[in-house]
Amino acid sequence: MHFKGRTWVFGRNVNTDLIFPKMWFRPTYEPGEMASHLMVGMDEEFPNKVRRGDIIVGGQNFGCGSSREEAAAAMKEAGIAGVVAPSFGRLYTRNCINVGLPIIVSPGIDEQVTPGDELEVDLAIGVLRNLRTSYEARLPPMAPESLRLIEDGGIANYTRRILEERRKASAQVRS
Amino acid sequence: MHAISKIIARHADRKSVEVGEIVNVTPDYVMLNDRGAARAADLLRKMGGDKVCFPEQIVVVFDHHYPPIRQQDSISQKATREWVKEQGITKFHAGEGIGHVIFPEKGYAFPGALIFGTDSHTVTNSALGCLATGLGHSDIASYLALGYNWLRVPEVIRFNLHGEFKPGVCAKDVALRIAQLYGEDAAPYLAVEFSGPLTAKLPMSERLVLCNMVIDFGAKTGYIQPDDTTARFMAQRAPHLHWTAETTDSDSDCGQIVDLNVGEIDSLVAVPHDLSDIRSAGTLSDVRIDEAIFGTCTGGRIEDFRVAASIMKGKKLAPHTRMMVNPGSREVYLLAMREGIIDALVEAGATVGVPSCGPCSGCHQGMLAPAENAITNASRNFKGRFGSPESNAYVASSATVAASAIAGYIVAPAEFIQR
Repeated sequence: MHFKGRTWVFGRNVNTDLIFPKMWFRPTYEPGEMASHLMVGMDEEFPNKVRRGDIIVGGQNFGCGSSREEAAAAMKEAGIAGVVAPSFGRLYTRNCINVGLPIIVSPGIDEQVTPGDELEVDLAIGVLRNLRTSYEARLPPMAPESLRLIEDGGIANYTRRILEERRKASAQVRS
Repeated sequence: MHAISKIIARHADRKSVEVGEIVNVTPDYVMLNDRGAARAADLLRKMGGDKVCFPEQIVVVFDHHYPPIRQQDSISQKATREWVKEQGITKFHAGEGIGHVIFPEKGYAFPGALIFGTDSHTVTNSALGCLATGLGHSDIASYLALGYNWLRVPEVIRFNLHGEFKPGVCAKDVALRIAQLYGEDAAPYLAVEFSGPLTAKLPMSERLVLCNMVIDFGAKTGYIQPDDTTARFMAQRAPHLHWTAETTDSDSDCGQIVDLNVGEIDSLVAVPHDLSDIRSAGTLSDVRIDEAIFGTCTGGRIEDFRVAASIMKGKKLAPHTRMMVNPGSREVYLLAMREGIIDALVEAGATVGVPSCGPCSGCHQGMLAPAENAITNASRNFKGRFGSPESNAYVASSATVAASAIAGYIVAPAEFIQR
């Protein structure tokens, strides 16, 4: 997996209440609805400024707090290519993997990026580069199961596939 | 292996698992709250699933927005009631309180169990010696469709608690001290075990507070090795349930062991908007309190209400201070009425709401205006958590909240506790 994009930089302990405030919670969402509220707890104009293919860089413990999947799903929907931080909240990490959003741990990255810098991430060789400063970091390998889910486009696609296999198997048993 | 690894192995149908490994597990119970149930049902349909695999393992709880105050919630709850019926789910609780309070009350949490929930504070249940963790909505929808989900076996950090509490200090202050010492990411992706002579003396209510707070230092689950206190709790709550506690083979199964002398801890307060920004309550006497928010999955148990009554009985709230009280469950509400606690709080000037999450996460009555200060025995002081993003939330113990509501300013509770 490989991606390159313009960066937005946020600080330490940015919690999911800020990434997707609860006032925008709905039982179901129209296409594009979640993306239109992304990061508004930090910057109300963010949904208008962000472009598809951009990269979000966070500080330590980015995405801490509640289990709300919208924090990850809204980024995926807005076309964020990936999110990079020294560390992440556990539920946010899990939700990113499950919605198919690449989530990259890179110690000290928040010190190495100025908003707008172009970052390049290559997971196959495990390298991250800041193309403006030529800063380069080795990335710790991602668990193959997590990488597979992300490359699959998330847990929904995985679940659909397994359900389909089960249906085929039970149809075979009947015939 | 650590007991937590053994719990995962058993639920993965494996003899053993290794820390860091990802395995598929089938949980004992899965809690869906009002929002979680609506979203998971929607996502289940979008994943092409029609029937949930194990309806008898699903517990649906309406707690965040019950009773609904917005049309969108009443519509969504109506749809969920129909979905629950259609799926054959019989464990359904609306108006009975907060999921994390009623789970232990009703025996859904038990030693050795594996519990998932659509809420980060699902970790509360781990005080019973089980693995309990929050999952996202797609995660839960996938479980509903397939009957299993993936879980990474966590490394364990053990806090060995010893020493004696100073007067007025309790488990909540220990949790705040850990956040102060090690930060909001004290235990990223880790399991947090509490042990040691002080933990052994803690009643279940205090253990539930400790484990409730572990999510707010980044942990996947808490854990307390089941003991006589656990067995007595289970005998009272689920006398017919057969459960088996797992045990840890050796201290070396913990990644880290940290000693913490609770005797060094004061009554503490997390100041806005960072849970690791901690001060002694006694140093914040210039912080004027507009509202005290009392209840939630952290501080809504009967023991919290008894502490509040011991401080507030026969007193009045400060003239400039209001207080919103939400019992954690219907059972807590009834007990607090029978024990005269509700009388004492209402006579002091508090407003009592329904058993639910209350204003925590801005769901229900009692929200803050810009520039107002609240003190709460909830778990989080995030910006905007209790209403306006311009308001300020201070997180403290039940005793500190009750004493500060009377004083009108933040105070340490020791001298307010009536014998």
